[in-house]
Amino acid sequence: MKDRNRSRDKVTDLKTAVANYVHDGCSLCLGSAIAREPMAVAREIIRQGKKDLTLIETAKTSSGELLVGMGCLKKIEIAYFWIGVIGQGYNFRRAIEKGVPLKPELEEYSMLSSSLRLLAGSMKVPFLPTKSLIGSDLPKVNPKIKIIDDPYTGEKIALVPAVNPDVTFIHVQKCDPLGNAVILGNLWNDSTSARAAICTVLTCEEIISEEEIRRNPNMTAIPHYCVDAVVHLPFGAHPEPVDGYYWMDQPFRKNFVELSKTREGFLQWIDDWVYGCEENDQYLNKLGGDRLDALRDLEQKYRHGMTGP
Amino acid sequence: MSERAEQFQAVHQMACAAARLIRDGETVIVGIGLPLIAAVIAREEHAPNSTILFEGGAIGTKSRRIPWSIADSATSDYAQACMEVWRVLSDVQAGYIDVGIVGGAQIDRFGNLNSNTIIGQGSYISPQVRMPGSGGSNDIASSCGRTIIMMRLRKENFVDKVDFVTSPGFLEGGDSRRRMGLRGGGPEAVVTDKGIFRFHPETKRMFLSEISSRSSIREIKEFVGWDLEVAADLKSMEAPKELQMEIMARFDPLGIILGPSEEIRLDDFQSYYQAMIKNVLHHNI
Repeated sequence: MKDRNRSRDKVTDLKTAVANYVHDGCSLCLGSAIAREPMAVAREIIRQGKKDLTLIETAKTSSGELLVGMGCLKKIEIAYFWIGVIGQGYNFRRAIEKGVPLKPELEEYSMLSSSLRLLAGSMKVPFLPTKSLIGSDLPKVNPKIKIIDDPYTGEKIALVPAVNPDVTFIHVQKCDPLGNAVILGNLWNDSTSARAAICTVLTCEEIISEEEIRRNPNMTAIPHYCVDAVVHLPFGAHPEPVDGYYWMDQPFRKNFVELSKTREGFLQWIDDWVYGCEENDQYLNKLGGDRLDALRDLEQKYRHGMTGP
Repeated sequence: MSERAEQFQAVHQMACAAARLIRDGETVIVGIGLPLIAAVIAREEHAPNSTILFEGGAIGTKSRRIPWSIADSATSDYAQACMEVWRVLSDVQAGYIDVGIVGGAQIDRFGNLNSNTIIGQGSYISPQVRMPGSGGSNDIASSCGRTIIMMRLRKENFVDKVDFVTSPGFLEGGDSRRRMGLRGGGPEAVVTDKGIFRFHPETKRMFLSEISSRSSIREIKEFVGWDLEVAADLKSMEAPKELQMEIMARFDPLGIILGPSEEIRLDDFQSYYQAMIKNVLHHNI
């Protein structure tokens, strides 16, 4: 395994982190879907023109749509790829059905089995067994899934191979400059994928002191020794929600889905919100302070009575 | 019956029908949409000690707004616990979860579901319509104590042969599911807008068990892509009760899941913000 960054201060900026850790042809995990989805990271990957990436995840929504629509992905290893209740994954559909802008190779799993690949990777064991997948058509289209007879009981069992993505980006609520990270709400597989990846970059809403981390050590989901870089990135998941910080910007997502129905509409959206905003601050300014305040306000009202930031 | 209860739509009836299949004390893993509404009705009505889970990792959720996804921050609101995805789905595999509510784009007579791809004239590599993929549906269908399937009954949905088996039902019928070594009990019922289907205890073939007053055997047979059997004691699908309609109105005041609403507009941020402030903050989904 590549040596991790052992610095006591791993803080860098988004452009540097993406330039240093994402290389053409590398494998990439973007931790979490919906809540804490690393949206600003996906936009920066597009601005830097990274290509031939292999996306390794359990499920992807908006960030996956951006990357597949811009032709950044050569391969997708996943269980679910879609927007959800408010609309389809139009870019995913165009890519798979029509090869527009190009057709990524698909390697499909279920949610548990794709998670177990990361777990196996995090444990440095070659594979893990599961009682999912058997009897379905997933093993027929994915030769990496092996159905074997359990050597102990003779029962059928599926094996899925470990995976160690070249880099994982995870957006968290809080972390210290070493990379000890606090995650509130849905954990996704993020403490697992942080360990499975060869390099791990955290982006965060707030950088806090190591002292604050030490006050509630049980809240640390990711320990510093599997983290290589830390980026302070407020609203880094917008338009997706972050527990304790801001609410989902559903009108923004809906507008994206509507425009994504056509290739032209999608490219227009990319011009406006990705190429038109070189820095994350420009993106936030374009949204406007009132809108960001309203999203914070909804989350705050909604969380009344709950402990949190 | 009150005016409100009379005004029910097919979606309300489906949610109530699925809710009735959930028993008190059970653990229930759900997707977003009608499955969640069904589980909430059960918990608020006859199963106060049931527990709602999401594959995103939240356990015992009581949200103050309707979640838009299984990993929306609303799923973890007032939850009892948040686990990693692999952990909560391993709990499914280990048998901790009694009921899973799933859907799909296609179903066959043995309850096998497809949510990966409509191949049509194409191939798996280049399909006619690409869909989201399994998500947790394969895991839930494989290992939950039993599954409840919810989907609309349409000609293109109830097919002789699914294009792709994402989530195993009774596979080829008979004891083929058990022989495959799948741990969960398989589908208990298929709840649709036109009727409820169940499975023969031995052949595992789907048959029509209850029918909606809005449909007819003839219509249903036309929509089903195989020679459908009908229960000798075919029952009428129950209409939603007043309490159930109240629960649904309380939990989805904006009609996000249950039907078009003029109160929420997603094309304008201010009206979205105002609707959220006004209607959503004090309800425990």
